[in-house]
Amino acid sequence: MSEITPTEAIVGQVAGVSLGLSPRKGSTPRVATHLRDNRTAYLMISPMVILLSIFVLWPLIYAIYLSGFQISFYKGAEFVGLKFYQDVLEDPKFWTSLRVGISFAAMVVPAGMIVSLMLASFIKTLSSKLAGFMKVTVYVPAVISTVVASVLFLFMYQDQGVVNWFLSLVNAGPVAWLNNPGTALPAIAVPAIWLGLGITTLIMLAGLLDIPDSYYESAELDGAGFLKRTWYITIPLLKNILLYLFVTGFTGALQMLDLPLVMTNGGPVNATTTPNLFIFNNFRGATPYATSYSLTTALLLFVVLGAISVLVFRLINSDKSVDG
Amino acid sequence: MHKRRNKTVAFAAAVVSTVLALTACSAGGGGGGTSTEGNTGGTSANGKTVVTFWQQKFEDYQGVWFKKYVDAYNASQDKVSIDYQVIPADTWAQKLQAAQAAGKQPDVATTNYGNIAAGVADGKFAALDDYMPAKSFSDIKDNVASFVTIGGKHYAYPMLVEPSTVLYYNTDLVTAAGLDPKSPPTTWAELIDWSTKLTSGDVKGMTIASTAADLGWSSWGLQYNACGHLPISDDWSKGAATDPCFGKLLDFYKTLYQNNLIPQQPKVGYADGSPYGGGEVAMMAGGSWVIGQLKADFPAMLAKTMVAPFPSIDGDQTKPTATLGGWTLTLDSKAKNPQAAADFIQYLLAGDPAIMADFFKAAGYSKYTVRTSVDEALATDPDASADPFMKIISDKVVAHGKQEPSYPWDVALAFGTAIESAMKGTDTVEGSLSTANNAINDVIQKQSLAGTAPKK
Repeated sequence: MSEITPTEAIVGQVAGVSLGLSPRKGSTPRVATHLRDNRTAYLMISPMVILLSIFVLWPLIYAIYLSGFQISFYKGAEFVGLKFYQDVLEDPKFWTSLRVGISFAAMVVPAGMIVSLMLASFIKTLSSKLAGFMKVTVYVPAVISTVVASVLFLFMYQDQGVVNWFLSLVNAGPVAWLNNPGTALPAIAVPAIWLGLGITTLIMLAGLLDIPDSYYESAELDGAGFLKRTWYITIPLLKNILLYLFVTGFTGALQMLDLPLVMTNGGPVNATTTPNLFIFNNFRGATPYATSYSLTTALLLFVVLGAISVLVFRLINSDKSVDG
Repeated sequence: MHKRRNKTVAFAAAVVSTVLALTACSAGGGGGGTSTEGNTGGTSANGKTVVTFWQQKFEDYQGVWFKKYVDAYNASQDKVSIDYQVIPADTWAQKLQAAQAAGKQPDVATTNYGNIAAGVADGKFAALDDYMPAKSFSDIKDNVASFVTIGGKHYAYPMLVEPSTVLYYNTDLVTAAGLDPKSPPTTWAELIDWSTKLTSGDVKGMTIASTAADLGWSSWGLQYNACGHLPISDDWSKGAATDPCFGKLLDFYKTLYQNNLIPQQPKVGYADGSPYGGGEVAMMAGGSWVIGQLKADFPAMLAKTMVAPFPSIDGDQTKPTATLGGWTLTLDSKAKNPQAAADFIQYLLAGDPAIMADFFKAAGYSKYTVRTSVDEALATDPDASADPFMKIISDKVVAHGKQEPSYPWDVALAFGTAIESAMKGTDTVEGSLSTANNAINDVIQKQSLAGTAPKK
């Protein structure tokens, strides 16, 4: 038993480094070790910092600089100050696109999370063999391209498609799902939920499996049913996972481009023009005005998304201490 | 010693990972082309001058025609090599924008008539008069010459014109509904009557554009028909969308949609004639290019198809119902070898009339010539004179067609959105037109359009 396993050795080493302990304590001053460790740490993170600076920070700064100009690829750029910010903020179509994006996220994220939670709870009750099969089945949509899913659902929503066929069984329809301003957005939210289901369910399942069974057993002994166990045990203990899924899901849904682009091209009457599709369509305007306008819209969307993320991250920080 | 080695390893790892990441990120540039010769400096490895030519993807036969004559041009001389690339239509705008931003724009590109004025204003195109002989321009028909002329100079060489709106109808279904195929509808009211009688079961009486993006351009002819002008003043200084005559146009579209006379959920866009070819609708508003599609994909439908000018608001068939769209080749103002690029345009579009005659033959005479000499070449072609559609479209539609407007797309889209909004009931006709007018005035103000309408 005196032998040290490789894992123990690594754990010991890591613990030693994190506590600032040197293997040959006393041979070098403590402060110098700290400095050296810091230097190593900076060195290790430097590749990512350099890459982020080149590919994220610098383009962002340059984009902010360019947004002060009407850019032409043939004539010199014309300085216009904050004109484009004013133009975008005064454009009702920009605000409509934000409303569409938020409505879309509000449909996709909660619905996706509820279905995923139900699926994950169901998979948890299955035998390991059956659970494996279910996990693969649920994950399949995640590996399907958004464009393929869009085309698939496009066919399903046709007048002679399977959705209207179901309606015809009860003598209803056909409904022009994608060409009616009232139904188009929910109709494209369905494939979005379906596509996101796999990964969300697996993350939820991982969270569920982390909750000790003893909690459920004692609740059952006290006579708690499934709903009570879910409400009082599962949801509180999944809080951090739910918040994570909410933030990533919300920002992802708000940035949706492919589904409305392929399925509706933003119509009918802009009912599915998400912010990114709005930017994309403006960029295709192919005039100097359109180029600068789309750039400024993208920067303003960055601010909106950043604000939402900050808000939710603050929420997460306030609940950091909650742990199972 | 051990510690120093750790530090060295950490440093090396950091450097290697940075270099790897940087090389990985930068290795993906370029691509998308079909040529192996590249265009750095406009000269290929074998000393030939390289001219890049981007063609927006149209019907398959067009690609075959372009490739045939690009290859012939490349084989005909050893000084210039044309680097020909076909770009899908749905990625064209963003790909061209990105190429222009990176300074890798093509020397020669397909450009539609509507984009010439804006391109000239932005300095994108070189005047062809400096590189091509004057007789090439005198061969262009007068009405089309004005499409490519700005300030007395030619900034594009036209290839073809095609009217945006023609009425197609299925004579079998028309006869079965008790209507006379020899007397097609001439007013909007008659068209609605025909559509009502022809709508039966899954077959709709009619199909026409129903989304803002399609309505934005395909309704230009009918905007002229309804009001004699577009929804903006001639000098682009103020919106004119609230004219009551536009209300009648919106009512017409609204009736077709809300009475279920057109597909409520079209599978394809306006430019695609397959719903008509497949027998899903009895009549169709479509561009003349649909004839080419019917000949290629639905030959059985040709025998039972007749064409007519699209009905007019009041039955006057001399009023415009279509705009004459079409394509040109433009020479980029930053072309490294403008003379070599212009020589290629001269060869393909302005030289031997037989080359363009071959194009119109391949198109099934669904597009119309822009040069007198090509007309003469086609006059000797028995297939052209025997075509049942060509004469009607040429005499009754093209003859009254108007030029596509060159104002920014935002203006066209605002009006297209108004029509869609009225059709789908998100607003009243008056409300939709008022919103469009505000949007057009907004575009005029923000993009400083007043007084910038191109002068010939």
